[in-house]
Amino acid sequence: MPRDAGLPPGTLMMLVLRVLVRQPLHGYAIAQRIRQLSADELSVEEGSLYPALQKLLVKGWVKATWRESDSGRQVREYRLTASGKQQLEAEIAEYRRMTGAIDVLLKEA
Amino acid sequence: MAIIREFIRRLGYLVRRRKKEDELLREMETHRALMENPRAFGNTLRLREEARDAWGWNWLDGLVQDTRFAWRTLRHSPGFVVTAIATLALGIGVNIGMFTVVNGLLLRPLYERPDEVISIYGRGTAPDGGIRGVSYPNYLDLKEGTTSVFSNLAASSTGFVGLGAGEGARRTLTSGVTANYFEVFGQSPALGRPFTTEEEKPGADNRVAIVSHSFWTQRGADPGLIGRTLRINGAPFTVVGVAARNFAGASIPGPDVWVPLGAETAFTTTTSPVGTLNSRDAQTLSVVGRLRSDVSIESAAAAVETVGRRLAQAFPTYNAGYTLRVAPPSRFLFMPGPGSGAFTAILTALLMAMPAIVLLVACLNLADLLLARGHVRRQELAIRASLGGGRWRLTRQLLTEGLLLALAAGVVGLLLSRWATGALLTSLRPVIPVALSLPELDFDWRVLVGAVGFSLLASAVFSIWPAWLLTGRAAATDLKRQAGEEGRRLGSVRVGNALVIGQVSLSVLLLAVGGLFLASAISAAAADPGFLLDRGLVVELDSGLAGYDETRGRDANLALVDRMRAVPGVEAVTISSSLPFTSFGDSRNVAPAGVADAQAKAVDAVFNVVGRDYARALGLPMLDGRDFTATELAPGAEPVAIVDDLLARRLWPGDSALGRFIQFVDGEGPEAGRTMRVVGIAPTVRHSLSNPQPFPHVYVPLGQRYESAMTLQLRIAGNQSDAAMLTTVSRVIREFDERLPIVRLETWRDHLDTGLDSWVYRAGATVFSAFGGIALLLAVIGVYGVKSYVVSRRTREFGIRIATGAHPRALLWQVMKEGGRITAIGLGIGLLLAVAAGRLLQGFLYGVDALAPVVLVLTPLILLASSLLASCMPALRATRVDPTVALRSE
Repeated sequence: MPRDAGLPPGTLMMLVLRVLVRQPLHGYAIAQRIRQLSADELSVEEGSLYPALQKLLVKGWVKATWRESDSGRQVREYRLTASGKQQLEAEIAEYRRMTGAIDVLLKEA
Repeated sequence: MAIIREFIRRLGYLVRRRKKEDELLREMETHRALMENPRAFGNTLRLREEARDAWGWNWLDGLVQDTRFAWRTLRHSPGFVVTAIATLALGIGVNIGMFTVVNGLLLRPLYERPDEVISIYGRGTAPDGGIRGVSYPNYLDLKEGTTSVFSNLAASSTGFVGLGAGEGARRTLTSGVTANYFEVFGQSPALGRPFTTEEEKPGADNRVAIVSHSFWTQRGADPGLIGRTLRINGAPFTVVGVAARNFAGASIPGPDVWVPLGAETAFTTTTSPVGTLNSRDAQTLSVVGRLRSDVSIESAAAAVETVGRRLAQAFPTYNAGYTLRVAPPSRFLFMPGPGSGAFTAILTALLMAMPAIVLLVACLNLADLLLARGHVRRQELAIRASLGGGRWRLTRQLLTEGLLLALAAGVVGLLLSRWATGALLTSLRPVIPVALSLPELDFDWRVLVGAVGFSLLASAVFSIWPAWLLTGRAAATDLKRQAGEEGRRLGSVRVGNALVIGQVSLSVLLLAVGGLFLASAISAAAADPGFLLDRGLVVELDSGLAGYDETRGRDANLALVDRMRAVPGVEAVTISSSLPFTSFGDSRNVAPAGVADAQAKAVDAVFNVVGRDYARALGLPMLDGRDFTATELAPGAEPVAIVDDLLARRLWPGDSALGRFIQFVDGEGPEAGRTMRVVGIAPTVRHSLSNPQPFPHVYVPLGQRYESAMTLQLRIAGNQSDAAMLTTVSRVIREFDERLPIVRLETWRDHLDTGLDSWVYRAGATVFSAFGGIALLLAVIGVYGVKSYVVSRRTREFGIRIATGAHPRALLWQVMKEGGRITAIGLGIGLLLAVAAGRLLQGFLYGVDALAPVVLVLTPLILLASSLLASCMPALRATRVDPTVALRSE
């Protein structure tokens, strides 16, 4: 998604999966959490968040349920599944391998 | 697994999309409400669209939309739809029909992993050395000596027998096989058991049989058939098995019944049964082997030739002068010998080319129709383009219409093809003199996928082009300008003309080739067979089918000849085991007796067992010597023979053959290895139409060999009608024995006309003419369509010209002239194609040159006439234009 120039390509899904590890969240909360946790460095736009969430649903890595929030709204919460956890681990490992390699290259080249 | 689960989830989104979309909407609304600045949330409609993309069904939405729209548009022009579907269905139907036949007969593997199976045969080392089979003892040695290259080696011998008894008796193919025969082809019986090694051995005489699957299903697929008795040439056999459904024999046509080699002698008519299979010189078996998986055909050939050389050294009497060779097995011959892959490929290409050309013409026609229709829809297309429909989107829309038509045409074509297949097979049956097992010609999935897929592809290609063409021009200008655009439209008229030229030239091609075959059929019918055709009758009988044994059969043959001779109006009558111009003949290697190198000197000659008066019945004089005597017709008499002039000259060049001795070098039956004294020289007759070269003949008297299937040949007096004599002959036979089946009863001329050779020409003529006729019809529709379109577009022009005093005849002439011009161009191209095709097909033609003037003049005339007729109606319409109406209309 070109609008998220701030995020390295392919990392959005990993970030979404990561913030869902601790607790189930709805769409808005996911975007908020990513911003908070990154100290406003990373921002997720709605235009890419929702396609990404739909993709995660189709892949079976998250499950969605409707729930009444504390403020009394109907919100759709996303919960990590077992295969989602596996996928997250795989993506983190892949990400580390990649950044590690880039680091090495940046230092030694 | 993950992919399957994902697909199922995706399907869930498709099925419950309303709910899912609703959820997406609500979710986004909540999100927006929670934001500090809800306006920062983008266009929810577009965002939802993008999110839905993840479900992976957006393409389907577009397709459904396009299809709905196409359906609505097409519904409003039923005339166009019917023409388009009929045109295309015809093209698709003939293709599927032909492909079903070609697939069944030529392409579909007859057994498991056919590449590994090769046939082994003997070939004479002389320059024109003949081909022969392998004897049973040689087969056993071969099998033992080649275990390193073949995982299995089987032998078989196939021939015609009478199956059943009494009224239900019929002639069919039976194979005597080794116990491992089915194993080599990777088959195990559908029911019952295969043969045992014990049953294979010479002299075992265990009378058991395995029937073909089609034989079994024709009798109600009753499992109780196992254990029943089957009469083969009158001898009782017990059915022990039913062959697998997908195995109809190793070649086409396949046998109905298989028996163990050791029991075959129960119905063959040899005098020393055990000796024949056991003797090394009965070189009659077809041998097939399955290669081990890592063995090449070259190393197999080397191994086989080594064994061949060893056999020639060990048993020179029987094996000298021959080597053993390997080759891919023949698909159409049950005789030993190599197959011809090239022949199959050529035949496939030839047979498929005809329907392919018809489909091409149909597609050109469809393109034509779509183009003409597109012009009518210019305004609609222009509006849609100006509202933002991209070129690709519009093209896709038109393409969808094309595909929808093609799909409907495919369904209609499939129905048509059932009929076409039936018609093709029906035309094939009468030529084959026996009830044969052809492989089942059902639509397998290959036929369906291949033909429909190919047709869809073809029609898609031909609707893409007009669609692209139509959406291409700056469509918006069409909104502004409507009338009087002749100049700009001429481009597409030119395309239309090109399409018509294509159709005309292809129709000329098919019709001209049909004409060449027709001319072949006519000259074949007029061919001189070398004997008197008129006033001749042939009656084919098989006393074996009525359960006659050899003694009764011999008596019956002689008695029938006597009875026929006594019939008033019969001038001469004879009896023979074979007949010129019959699909199946019997031949033997004949050599002068007593020479050392008999194998090398042998000449292949048609072998015919005959009674007295054979030459007279054909209306020919004996050239030298005498006819057979009555005593020579009985068994045990001195072995004598009559040879024809050609054989005599080949065996003893420049010398008289009379009184000399001949010997039969190999082969089966009692005459094998026997010497015979030549007592007469007969004139040479031709044996087949397709081969204008006469073939040598050797005639032996009835006494020397018994065969149950014989043909009576009668020469009738000039004052008798053929029809009356046929009735009389049939009555005489019924009076002799009611149970005796009459296999064939017809005049000599009819026999010639229904023979395989004549059939090839007539089938070629029929099929090419039929396909040509269909193509012609399509081309005429094309010419008519384009002319109508042109005339309707120029109504205004014609109106003005009539108003300013143009003579209607001048307009008529102008329209006709334009029609004539494109037809003439099409004719020119078509004739060039036809001449090229004629050259290619020369080998299949008879007595006709590829440049036959009759064909090359007549075909264009037919086309020119039809094409002028097709442009006549639109032209007449042009002359009837009412100027006032025409000027007001636009």
